[in-house]
Amino acid sequence: MLFVGFSAMAQKELPNLNLNTLEGKSLSLKNDFTEKDKIYIFSFWATWCTPCIQELDELNDLQTEWKKSVNFEIVAIATDDSRTQKRVKPLINGKGWEFNVLLDTNQDFKRALSIVNIPYTIVVKNQQIVHIQNGYVPGSEKELLEKLKSL
Amino acid sequence: MKKILFCGAVFGFFIASAQEKTNQISVFGGLESNSTWYMNDPGLNVVHPDPAIRSNNYLFVNTKYKGWTAGIQVESYEDEALLNYNPKYIDTNVATYYLQYKNETVDVTAGYFYEQFGSGLLLRSWEDRQLGVNNALRGGRIIFTPWKWLAIKGLYGQQRTGFDAADSDIYGTDIEFGLSDIFQFKTTELSIGGSYVGRDQKVLTIPNPNYRDRTDAYAARINFAHHGFYASGEYDYKSDDAIVEKQDQVKNNFIKPGQALLVNLGYSKKNFGIDGTFRRLENMSFYSEREAAKNSFNDRIMNYLPGLTKQQHYNLANIYVYQAQPGVAMPDYTVLKAGEIGGQIDVFYNFKKGSTLGGKHGTKIALNYSEWHALSGDYYLPLKNYDVDYLAFGKKYFSEYNVEIDKRWTDRWQTIFAYIKQYNNLKLVQETVDVVNADIVAGEATYKFGRSKSIRIVGEHIWADADKKNWAAGTFEFNVNPKLSFYTNDMWNYGNDDPDARNHYYNFGTAFRYKSIRAALNYGRQRGGLVCVGGVCRFVPESSGLSLSVNAAF
Repeated sequence: MLFVGFSAMAQKELPNLNLNTLEGKSLSLKNDFTEKDKIYIFSFWATWCTPCIQELDELNDLQTEWKKSVNFEIVAIATDDSRTQKRVKPLINGKGWEFNVLLDTNQDFKRALSIVNIPYTIVVKNQQIVHIQNGYVPGSEKELLEKLKSL
Repeated sequence: MKKILFCGAVFGFFIASAQEKTNQISVFGGLESNSTWYMNDPGLNVVHPDPAIRSNNYLFVNTKYKGWTAGIQVESYEDEALLNYNPKYIDTNVATYYLQYKNETVDVTAGYFYEQFGSGLLLRSWEDRQLGVNNALRGGRIIFTPWKWLAIKGLYGQQRTGFDAADSDIYGTDIEFGLSDIFQFKTTELSIGGSYVGRDQKVLTIPNPNYRDRTDAYAARINFAHHGFYASGEYDYKSDDAIVEKQDQVKNNFIKPGQALLVNLGYSKKNFGIDGTFRRLENMSFYSEREAAKNSFNDRIMNYLPGLTKQQHYNLANIYVYQAQPGVAMPDYTVLKAGEIGGQIDVFYNFKKGSTLGGKHGTKIALNYSEWHALSGDYYLPLKNYDVDYLAFGKKYFSEYNVEIDKRWTDRWQTIFAYIKQYNNLKLVQETVDVVNADIVAGEATYKFGRSKSIRIVGEHIWADADKKNWAAGTFEFNVNPKLSFYTNDMWNYGNDDPDARNHYYNFGTAFRYKSIRAALNYGRQRGGLVCVGGVCRFVPESSGLSLSVNAAF
């Protein structure tokens, strides 16, 4: 019952934070992801997190197909701290991923959403968090697509 | 009590100001609970600690109204903290609280805050609950961004230790210029920055100290990117301060400055990436209290000096993990350390779908090589002193080769193969006895079936020529659906020279996920050794028991 109580009042808004892209441009979570009715998938990952990379590999392969039916964009939030952050750019390119990437170097975004484990995915539409997926197992992406279609 | 009153007042303010427009206030946060019931385990010769049931719990609640945000974190360690957490984490209390105002140009925080200057070599305050690190600063911070190309930070605080604050004052300022914004470069990114960090700790225990209360530290950094090429560098200098070779032993006749250099170069394009990092650390241990240096809980740590190696996810590759060697230790003629020098290189390559090696579904490879040495130079004993060279490699601490190949065969089948070769001079690094050469092979396969079911199987083996020698390990994971998983794994130290130490470390468990909630139950044995997160490690003893972890965001 406790859990139902929590999820019922889950956070609705993105925090007012600026994060850097791989090119060093600062983007505002509040002001730069606001296209009306577009769905933004923020996927929290790190270069050392194998299930995260599996999930993003999967999403990368599927996104072209999915975009035929849903207007969405994937934003990969790299929670790597300065130990592994320099690995983000070569890994993204080395994997051939076509995502926007934001760097959450001291984990301010992750902390603001009280994220304990990654992978962790939030779905945002019209600046509201409409869905949360805590964790990833192969097959989670099918459930995610169905959710996107229902939004 | 004061803390509770402060927080109550802040929340009262929010609720009072939000009453007119109730739709604008929001409340959010999260809950995490990790509990273990430790048991006796005659097989491991482990007797459960007293109390046997222990739990670490964190409740983080925030409220937001327009540009204002306030929050409080309550932590509860009942009856005591989990094994080998800092004993200062005890009972239930308010751990952190803050009030923040933020608009486009100004960000002001009072209370506890987290901050990092540059790459964190001088200052990083962060939270890692798995490691028991929370070195938030309690005080105030202002971030001023008048134009897009300029960010100025100023802060003052005392560092959190347990439920208390360290006995020193921390001052810091950081400035960053976005030169590419100033000069309107279109395809080139260029920024420079600088920091100052001061730690002021009154010297009370030594009558005529040869060092000052305040230690000053400075940093300069540059960041550059042009098309696929990028480079960055940071240099740090820490003023003269007493060397602390062992916790609580502050030397009045061994005073040295410290310095660090970090350089990174990389190039990447679609399907290819290469990255190289060089780092040199000399006497860069930095704590909010000198006495805390080298404590085993990462308590009162000021800066972030992770081991720059590949972060391994296979169990057996995590036995001989490298820990960065920033500090000075000269216990005898065989162990002479004033820091470390070395680097690592990563290569990522994607064989495209349809190519000969890529096959129908693509093949991805990742290579990593790292090598770390002591600083070469003259070391003087028994009168302690050293004079180290700048760019010369001394005795080798550690090296590691990694090859990882990720291959998808069909829509349902995927395999990963990894080979790792490690050298770890434990005698120098951990000041124990052995030098270990190890070869590790790991293979895993994931098979998807049905609507969203999958099975994952992992096999691992390590051949080590010293210490605990050979191990074999296996994992079996069954994901029933996106909400429910079961797993079991075992690590068997069959090659140990001591027949009584040829133990199995088995675990069984299940994990449940629903929206933001994750709950996991595990029964089994914990291997003793280093548990590392993000290159920072914590030592854990062997134990056996039943664990429950629950987390949720709201």
